[in-house]
Amino acid sequence: MKIITKTSHWWLTILMAFFAIVMILPFVWMFSTSFKTPAQVFEYPVRWLPSQWIWDHHIKVWTGPKSFGTYYINSLKVSLISTVGATLLSAFAAYGFSRIEFKGRNALFVVYLSMMMVPPQVLFVPKFLMFDSWGIYNTHWALILPGMFTIFGVFMMRQFFLSIPNEISESAFIDGAGHIRIFFRLIMPLAKPALATLAIIDFSWHWNDYENALVFLIDESLYTVPLGLQNFILENNVDYNGMMAAASAGIVPMLLVFIIGERFIVQGITNSAVKG
Amino acid sequence: MKRNWMKRQQLLGYLFIGPNMLGVVLFFILPAIYSLYLVFTDYKFMAPKMSFIGLDNVKRLLRDEIFYVSLQNTVVFLLAVPISIGLAFLVALALNRKLFFKKTLRALYFMPYITSGVAVAFVWMLLFHPKQGPINAILTSLGVSNPPGWLSTTEYSMLAIDIIWIWFMLGYNMIIYLAALQEISGELLEAAKIDGAKPYQVTYKIVWPLVSPTTFLLMITGLIMTIKTFGIIQAITQGGPGNSTMILSLFVYKNAFRYYEMGYAATISWALFFIIMLITLVQWWGQKRWVHY
Repeated sequence: MKIITKTSHWWLTILMAFFAIVMILPFVWMFSTSFKTPAQVFEYPVRWLPSQWIWDHHIKVWTGPKSFGTYYINSLKVSLISTVGATLLSAFAAYGFSRIEFKGRNALFVVYLSMMMVPPQVLFVPKFLMFDSWGIYNTHWALILPGMFTIFGVFMMRQFFLSIPNEISESAFIDGAGHIRIFFRLIMPLAKPALATLAIIDFSWHWNDYENALVFLIDESLYTVPLGLQNFILENNVDYNGMMAAASAGIVPMLLVFIIGERFIVQGITNSAVKG
Repeated sequence: MKRNWMKRQQLLGYLFIGPNMLGVVLFFILPAIYSLYLVFTDYKFMAPKMSFIGLDNVKRLLRDEIFYVSLQNTVVFLLAVPISIGLAFLVALALNRKLFFKKTLRALYFMPYITSGVAVAFVWMLLFHPKQGPINAILTSLGVSNPPGWLSTTEYSMLAIDIIWIWFMLGYNMIIYLAALQEISGELLEAAKIDGAKPYQVTYKIVWPLVSPTTFLLMITGLIMTIKTFGIIQAITQGGPGNSTMILSLFVYKNAFRYYEMGYAATISWALFFIIMLITLVQWWGQKRWVHY
């Protein structure tokens, strides 16, 4: 009996592993193509490991006047500042929405939630005109400033703060601590895993954000990785190996973040969806 | 004393929410109002003057052929959502059983979701290459004599986009389903098995209804997220060939930042908003029929 269940585990494992490999084949194809010669790109049957590893395409992507180095620095700057700001500001607001009782709190929260329904397309045109008149159009501020405000983040942190029992802050109140001290000394340390989750998810949004960069940036020197990638592909539209080397450059950082923070990402996404 | 305390609470509440609220007002609420105002104008960027034109933008939209084309394409794009949810449910069912390397498998299925949409779009563009791409090479070797031209033809371009999107969303849907499946009590399933229910009956009659709130949630969030997306399409087809991959959100972008028709673009964007409202309302209304809490 035990042997039978064991073999059925293996069968299901093999079946699911097969489909999982199919899911990631596009990535495998991308990496292997980035190391092949132009003649080998569309070889069939597909050679998943190049016969000879050619680094030229990666060198092309990372050197020269349009090096991905610039795009990486731009993306890191925009993503890091936005993420730190968004995480802290979300935590602040979420504390107010969950652990301080005051008039108009719930009405305000409904306004927040309703803003989640407004598609970014509605906001693009007015933001473009506003940023233009403020002089921040075609600067990184056009991405960073709005990037520091995430309604999803407030929502997610609020869910987390609501799950912390009230007794914890009550005993601190009796000891004479106020909200500000409780927030920094008590709640924030407890919220570290939730903050890490929000930070990782938020960072991935900023890193992958193509649409805002497309609308608000013009100068090539300001391009973030997705825009740089698009630019590279427009200019090298027959260099398939180079395209795949560039795509790899765009994907690898997120793959690393994912491998390191998988636990937080999965946890956070599940919590915010299922308990929300 | 009590009154003072209440006042302090009020002040502290605003102190905590204030900084965030400032941003929400500046970057969400004000632009939304501004956009609503633009609907009634013929504002063009850099144009010397602008005037109020009442509902002319709305009338123009209702006569615009491309609007209807993009509406239709949007619906086709949205079809990817239920398909991706269905497949994700099957994958989650399998991954919820006793398996080896469960965590690794879960991570592999989830991987597409966290990667940059633009980068994967370019990878798929080559995979779908009509003459020599690996997908058509496989189809040919399987005996398909005339494989589709995918992104380069008007007939198959939306299908190709849908395939990319199903692949992209699958991992997210699967993760959420897995969490929901883990909440189902094993005793209930045991009891059904003892009563002689077949595995597919257990799945269809017990598990599927039990996860229906999750399915509902995934449908709403998936549809809303999808209808807002235009990045991958802009990156690989720019709405073409012809207007065969022009969807509403891309149509807004094009009018605003290619033709600088700000008033008209604002009008289309509000049409998009109303469609999102409509989806949400229909879902809320429809959930009474099939969601079991």
